Amino acid sequence: MLIDPERCRCCGDCLALCPMNAIRLFAPDRAAGRPAHAAIDRDECVECGVCFRSAVCPQQAIREEDLPWPRILRKAFSDPVFTHPGTDIPGRGTEEMKTNDVTGRFRPGFIGLGLEFGRPGIGTRLRETEAAIRRLLPLGVVLEPNNPLTQLIADPATGALRPEVRDEKVLSAIVEALVPEEAFDRILAEVRAIAAEADTVISVGVIGKVAADGRVPAAEAMRRAGLPPSANGKVNVGLGRPLYPF
Amino acid sequence: MSHTLHRCGVPEELKKDFVVFSMSAKTVNAPGSGEKMKRFFEILSRFPSTNFGDVKTGSRYNADWQTIHDRFRDQSVAHYVFTDRGTVAQALRELKQADLGLSVIVSGLFGEIEAICREVGLPVHTVQYSGGVLGRTERLPPGPVLAITTMCGHGLVSARLVEKLARQVKRGKKEASAAAAELARPCMCGVFNVERAERLLREIAERQEG
Repeated sequence: MLIDPERCRCCGDCLALCPMNAIRLFAPDRAAGRPAHAAIDRDECVECGVCFRSAVCPQQAIREEDLPWPRILRKAFSDPVFTHPGTDIPGRGTEEMKTNDVTGRFRPGFIGLGLEFGRPGIGTRLRETEAAIRRLLPLGVVLEPNNPLTQLIADPATGALRPEVRDEKVLSAIVEALVPEEAFDRILAEVRAIAAEADTVISVGVIGKVAADGRVPAAEAMRRAGLPPSANGKVNVGLGRPLYPF
Repeated sequence: MSHTLHRCGVPEELKKDFVVFSMSAKTVNAPGSGEKMKRFFEILSRFPSTNFGDVKTGSRYNADWQTIHDRFRDQSVAHYVFTDRGTVAQALRELKQADLGLSVIVSGLFGEIEAICREVGLPVHTVQYSGGVLGRTERLPPGPVLAITTMCGHGLVSARLVEKLARQVKRGKKEASAAAAELARPCMCGVFNVERAERLLREIAERQEG
């Protein structure tokens, strides 16, 4: 994203829109012949497109640009209007539990764990997620292959990301994994250790299939691990036609 | 992990915050689902709502209903936001009867959704909980601001914009309803609860100094 300094009249209307606070105002520079203007800090900008789509600029000074690799990843993870080619889904996630009644991705005995780095509203460098993946893989978690982050892993044995993507900043990126129910305590302890060293926030999501008797083993595992389940969240109400019964 | 998870707030507030949406599974029932998604959207349009949308076209604050409806394709995700459980129950009853075969997801307080499911005769098939926020939580904005920003799960509503608009409300430069509508625009999916945002904006404005 760019602000054309020739068009910008420095009104400041775009400043508050940026979820990353990446737009700054600059005083006039007479020596350089530059008037007062706003500019986007490209290192902090995550290419979410909010400023551009808002049409807030009376001068139409905010412009999208063609993004080369790996900068395009900022858009792929941060702009939900952009459909990630690896998932065919807008945004940085997958279908996860939303279609579980049809796909059977989360079955009894397993818990879905989603660690969303950068959410809410702080953003993250992709290297933060790499540090977590490297520590979680030896504990037996199975990463979701369709997740856009998983697709950036260069070495599946260690979880190392492609080196050129590590410093890219995104609004958020999700480490999505399937965890055996009995391993949840151990893995969550490691997640807490990862969070203590992280330079961002991590929103933790936990998915579980509801048992036939109405019990929710994922909620029980959360309580055992000292992570109280939230009062609100998402429910798949089973209206999807299943691929097979489970 | 999902755009309607991690909505912050106190239970009394969250009681008036339901998102009902539908999605097809890419590898199973996506082919031909665009027409079913239109049907889903038509059914939910019969009930009073505070927002609706599809990320590819936008919310009711970015586009009109017909445009959103007409642009549904096989992997579109349709959303509606409701503010009371009675409406959600009626909507789910009609969706059950329509038997579209697509997955339907409801976000809200679990106690409320479970009661609705019992009433309508639907299973609570799979659930997703929030385990809260870990890490550098000292960088987060205050609770009521976060309650507004987290209504866009893609993180497109900035805390700074919330604070700016709340100041305008406090100074009488803008009606809270207009400010809430402005906050809804960056959220392209249409999952932003505008009525709730209006209440929260008033609360933030009251607490702001000067």
